[in-house]
Amino acid sequence: MMRRLISGVKHLFGLHYPGHNLRVYPDDVFLVSYPKSGNTWARFLVANLVYPEKAPDFSNINDLLPDPEGMSKRNLDRAARPRILKSHNCFDPRFQKVIYVVRDPRDVVLSEYYYDIKRRALAEDYPLQQFVSRFVRGELNHPYGTWGENAASWFYTRRGDPRFLLVRYEGLQSQAMEEMARIASFLGIPADRERLAFAIKQSSANRMRELEKKQAHLWSSTRETRKDKAFVRSAKAGGWKAELSEASIAEIESAWGGPMRDMSYELALSSLVHAGMGRG
Amino acid sequence: MKKRLIAAVKHSLNLHYPARALLILPDDIFLVSFPKSGNTWTRFLLANLRFPGEPATWANIDRLVPDPRGTAKRDFDRMPRPRIIKSHECFDPRYPRVIYIVRDPRDVAVSQYHYHRKLMRIEDDSPIENFVTRFLAGETCPHGSWGQNVVSWLATSEKDPRFLLLRYEDMIADTARELTKIAAFLGIASNPEQIAQAVERSSVDHMRQLEKTQTDENGLIKGSRKDLSFIRSAGSGGWRSELPAFLTGRIEAAWGSVMRRLGYELSSQSNSDGRDFEYLGILNTPR
Repeated sequence: MMRRLISGVKHLFGLHYPGHNLRVYPDDVFLVSYPKSGNTWARFLVANLVYPEKAPDFSNINDLLPDPEGMSKRNLDRAARPRILKSHNCFDPRFQKVIYVVRDPRDVVLSEYYYDIKRRALAEDYPLQQFVSRFVRGELNHPYGTWGENAASWFYTRRGDPRFLLVRYEGLQSQAMEEMARIASFLGIPADRERLAFAIKQSSANRMRELEKKQAHLWSSTRETRKDKAFVRSAKAGGWKAELSEASIAEIESAWGGPMRDMSYELALSSLVHAGMGRG
Repeated sequence: MKKRLIAAVKHSLNLHYPARALLILPDDIFLVSFPKSGNTWTRFLLANLRFPGEPATWANIDRLVPDPRGTAKRDFDRMPRPRIIKSHECFDPRYPRVIYIVRDPRDVAVSQYHYHRKLMRIEDDSPIENFVTRFLAGETCPHGSWGQNVVSWLATSEKDPRFLLLRYEDMIADTARELTKIAAFLGIASNPEQIAQAVERSSVDHMRQLEKTQTDENGLIKGSRKDLSFIRSAGSGGWRSELPAFLTGRIEAAWGSVMRRLGYELSSQSNSDGRDFEYLGILNTPR
């Protein structure tokens, strides 16, 4: 009863996190990705592009690009519009203007593995291959579905829609200026090369690592995690080639080969995947 | 402020509708469809199969097969498990088991047009052309467009053993056969007599009869026009006489590939305009 009363009072003052019941405005922009797909990096890039005068860092990123699952309804209602909101949700028809950041699932699984060790959700010696199986089966204890579900739910419903921008993490790595120009134009921000370059520089892996060292205690995603492991880890594409076993690669590619191909990720084991994609 | 106070008290007493904040239990079953695709009829079928001692009516259906947007949290917490829950949402990875009903979008458009007339959301003589334009853009309900709703589920779940796809048209053609499929999917033991009874208690005539006296006891139709019935044609193919060819063509141009994939024959040689939904690879869901 007490808990219900507290929940009632929180509701009265708008102090609860709206989460799925978020009130969406027509001019909201959503920066969506599956977890561990460069969402934080993309948040820094966008924040440094849109709000350079606010000097984005780990202490204010949650205010600049809020997460409806981590901010009170009251503060979300008060945020300046148009809001740019962070989300890991699968397809939501209420989200009209969406930037979806997709990353190679073979790298996403590695990133999630190391992050789970950092936040003590996983023992340091937990076998990677076993973790990959859990990742593919969607046993991650978060409500965002599997990588395949999340990516497919957005890609196949929204591609071709002018209010949907698909950004590949790998593209942000290899051709940051071009990708940032696409993002700026999607957001309607007049951006010259200097402004784009500044946002990229302010969001570089090295700078974010520096900030993390000083500010890990100020940010929800790092606050209570191990300090001997960094949140900003390799910040590179293709680590899976050295770290994943062939069995793990096969497991991922046979589960999600279709959407991976459709989103331009080359499969390492295409013949095997082809057999695996048969309906059965 | 007064509105927020009422909401806060409702919250404390669990009288609020949980909507998308519904706490989902691992054995929950979701009955999902785009609106106007046979969801209410299937709710009656399932309620009558699962609770033969309490025949489904417009007054008790929100308690038997609850709606997160129309049933209080308190009633959700008190229900016998496993719960069967109604939903129109697009893909939600939290749903443990899903029965998804799909209906020919040309019939859905006609059905929703008449439903909105009944609800007085549009003028009685509002041209169907205007409605179809909004229907294609996903602006006639908060659950995405027909194409988005259907593709969000098919692209993520079609091969998942915990996902059962049914066509409204097949349910009309042989209701007992399709309900038997559902019972097997849910693990509900049933014999042909029980199936027949559930089908009979959910028949069009019976539901129409009940609707006449219970309109104001159900949130879907409360306060709506009494001269138009919620249970309308309850058939398939009505679009052939109700939709002008150019509107049929626009629907087929938008969603032709998904329609074909679902076995809905196209009347026009549709030229996809780039907004078409292909979902060829799709997931090989292992769980």
